Formats: sequence, structure tokens, C-alpha cells
Amino acid sequence: MLANVNATRMELLRLRRRVGLASRGHHLLSEKRDELSRQLILISRDIGSLRKRVETELMETCRRFMLARATMEPEDTKAALETPTKKLSLAIDFAKIMNVKVPRLTKEMAGEIICYGFATTSGELDVALLALERAFDNLIELAEKEKQARLVAIELQMTRRRVNVLEHVVIPELHETIKFIFDKLAEAERDNTSRLMKIADIIRA
Amino acid sequence: MAELIKKDVIDFYTYPPVGSDDWRYAFETAVIRAIETQMLGKATFLDMSNAENFEAAVDSLGASEYASLQGKSFSELEEILHIRRSDVREQFFDLMIDKEIAELFKSRNDFANLRLVLRRSLTGKALGNDYSKEGNVTVEKLVKVFEAEAEADSDTSELPDYMREASDEAVLAYYQKKDIRQIDYAIDKSQAEYNLRRAKQLRSVFLSGLFRIQIDLTNIRTMLRLKYTESEKRNAFLDGGYIGFERLREGLDSDYETMGQLFFVTPHHRIVDTGANYLVSDKSFLRLEQQCEEYLMGFLKTAIQITAGPQPIVAYLLMKENEIRTVRLILTAKKNGLDTKLILDRLGA
Repeated sequence: MLANVNATRMELLRLRRRVGLASRGHHLLSEKRDELSRQLILISRDIGSLRKRVETELMETCRRFMLARATMEPEDTKAALETPTKKLSLAIDFAKIMNVKVPRLTKEMAGEIICYGFATTSGELDVALLALERAFDNLIELAEKEKQARLVAIELQMTRRRVNVLEHVVIPELHETIKFIFDKLAEAERDNTSRLMKIADIIRA
Repeated sequence: MAELIKKDVIDFYTYPPVGSDDWRYAFETAVIRAIETQMLGKATFLDMSNAENFEAAVDSLGASEYASLQGKSFSELEEILHIRRSDVREQFFDLMIDKEIAELFKSRNDFANLRLVLRRSLTGKALGNDYSKEGNVTVEKLVKVFEAEAEADSDTSELPDYMREASDEAVLAYYQKKDIRQIDYAIDKSQAEYNLRRAKQLRSVFLSGLFRIQIDLTNIRTMLRLKYTESEKRNAFLDGGYIGFERLREGLDSDYETMGQLFFVTPHHRIVDTGANYLVSDKSFLRLEQQCEEYLMGFLKTAIQITAGPQPIVAYLLMKENEIRTVRLILTAKKNGLDTKLILDRLGA
């Protein structure tokens, strides 16, 4: 029950309006929660397989790179990878999912990833770099989806907390306070009635 | 198809001639005979490859000159192998009576340093001083020359002719297309030309054969790498090998399956065929690189048989460098838990 409440008819009307508002809010937030859950499921449906794919691709890249590095002379490896020719730029714009601002990543790649001559380098280095280039698409998609899922999940958690607060705290408290005021007013009404009856008896006597 | 290919003359069956004896090298060759027995055999490499883990692979080297690798961390191990390679090179320079040949092999480091310093200089990066110290030109001199060049006060005359020529070619090639790879292509070409020129000046049949083989193997690898990466850089081949450009360009235009047939008249038929097949099936150059290495080692093994001469000393240097690379390869693979099959494929076991 709300503390320090004035048991008046005005307060009762105000609280009844608040209950109506809270119920409508609860209803809307429940719908938002359901939709956020649906969106989260949609986003996260592919994340597992995508992450597995990216991890496999990156493992493959590392494996190839290890082999290349081991078969090349250290100074040749250093010279070959000193100046990369591939340029990657990442543009971020934002979309809204149920009013949650989520990032959309767009990559732009220019130049060739193979940035060295052939005489002193290993073919495995080509394979490693091409595998890395291929992994970029999935890697960026994974980063985008994981960030979206994280933001939607945070919003879902907040919404669920609000729904629960409305459902289990605010609305029951308001109902309890309304009942309290209603009882107080009824008590006062009965007081008045009995007082009037007593006065009438006195006058009649 | 055959008439399209210019007849490149290969007047040997498997390996080119290795030249004749030079009795000035009687003692030096004897030293090589004694130390070559310490080289690791295929059985040791197989033991290392099949070892359960990294530690077991290192333990397989216990009875060899690499015993000091035991119990070391991976970075320490790489450092030890690097020092071992420097020692072998130092030993080579000590044993080589013809200092021109020693300088020729030292120039490999000069070209590697040049590649690095030009990349840094042309892209406006700090030159640093992390260059190989095993070249003919000291690191301080190299950095000084290119620092002066960055301040438009160029004086490359302090560099040896071969480095100056390579540097000019590389800078010109870079500015034509503003493509960093052109530096490497130009230096690779200059290096190949310089090696062949020096071998001719030294009248060494063996060195000529060796450098031409190296050019051929590089060209074959380049051909398959260009094809695999679908690159249009058809001018990346090096001149001076036994295999003509026409055949290599024809190889670029043909399928992987028919590539081997194209090289049927060359001693490199097996390399191309095996390498291309493995590339198609496993999307990897491991087998091609193993085949190239095997061919080169085969040639060096014929050279090391010479009774006395510079050939066994050069052969020992290259075989020892290859051995150190192989040890590093196996230990890297073991450390990172790579599949044993991959190692065995690379070793050709």
C-alpha cells in the first residue's frame, strides 16, 4: 500500500485513473516484451552456426599462416607483411528494432590482400590471406548480429523488469490503496449515517 | 598446343651438370664430409612428425646438435634456430675460399633488407633498424643511405652496384603503378639477374645450374599461385630459367589437370603434376613446395658428391638451411596442434 495517502474521493479517482494507465502500460509492455523475444530469437537463430563457421575459418587461416611462417625465413615474412595493400573501411549506420537502436555494419574493401612478391614467400601465405579475406564477410556479419542480440537482450531484460514491476508491485499496490481508501470512505459514510441516526433519536426524544 | 610453346632447350635428364672438381677445396670439402654426417635424416623428421606432442618432438632431437632445444619455450627455440642458421652461414663464409661466392650468398640478405627498407621508405614509415645483419652491407650504412634518400639528398652510390640497380628498378616500378608489390617483383628480378650474371662471371657451371633451377622452381610456384589466386599479374615470372615464359603462360591458361602434361618434356613434370593435383584436392601448396624442395635437394645431393670444390660447401649451406626450416616447421606444427598428416604431406613422407 502507498504510504501517506489521503483517503479522499479525489485521491480514489486519481488512483483509479493510475490503475487504468498502469494496466494499459502493462499490456503494452507485455506486447513489447513478446515482440522483443521474437526478434531476439530471430537474430540469435543464426548466431550459433555463424560463430562456428567464423571460428573454423579463422582457425584455418591461423593454421595456414603458421605453416607459411614456419617455412619462410623470418626476414622474408617480415618484409612480405610490412605494408598491407588491402584497405578495409567499416561504415556504421543504425536501425531500430522495437525502438532499440542497433548497428548495421557495411564494409568496403579496396586493393588486393596479397601484398608481396612470389620469390621469397610461401604459397600457404596466399591461402591464409585469401581465407582471411573470405572470413571477413562472416566475421562482420557475426559482429553485427552479436551486437544486435546484446542490445535487444538488454532492452528485453529492462522491459521484462518493468512488466514484472507493474504486474507484481505497482498495480497490486494501487489496488490495495484503492481498497484502503474505499474502506476508509465507507467507514466515514457509516460514521455519518450512525451519527445522523443518533441525532434524529435525540431530537425525537 | 605444342607448336605454341617455344622450344626451351633442356639438355639434361633430371638435374643440370654440377661442374668439375677444384682441388683448392680439398680440405674444405673434407670438413663438409665430416659435418654433413651430423645432419638430420628423414627418420628423425618422421619421428618428430609422429611424436605425440611438442615436447616429445623436441625430445626426438636429443641425440642431435639441436639437443639444446630441449626444455626451451617456443620463442627461445625460434631464437636458437635463428642463431644456428647464422652459425651455419658463418661457417660457410669461413670455408669458402672464393670470397666472391661467399659475397654472392650474403647478397641474399642484402636483397631481403632492401625489400624491407624500400617498403618502409616509399610508404613513409620509420626505417627502424631490425634488418638482417648477415648481408654485405651493414645495417647502419643501409639505413643511413635511405634516410638521406628520404630527405631528397639521395646518395645510393655508397651501396654496391647490385643493390643500387635493384633499388632504382624497384623505385621506378613502384611509382609507375603506385603498387607496393612492384617493389618485390623488381627486386626479385634484379636478384635473379644478378645471381646469374655473377655465376657467369665466376664461370661456375654449378652456380648457373643452381640459380636457374631456383628460378624455374620460383616460376612454377608463381604460375600455380597466380592461377589459384586468379591474379592477372602475368609479368611476375623471373627470366633466366630453363623453362620458357611461353610454357608458363600456357600453364596459366590451362586446367590444373592438363598442366602436368604441358611440362612433360621438362624435368619438372612431376612437381607440376603432383603440386597441381594436391592444390585441387586439398587447396594447399604444401605438396608443391615439398616437391620443389625435393627437386632442389636432389640437385644439391648430386653436387655434394663432388670430390673437392665449392659445390659441396654451397650444397651443405642450402641443405642445412633447409634442415633448420624443416625443424622449425615441425615444431611450429606440433606446438600449434596441427594435424600430423599436414606435416607428413609437407615432408613428402
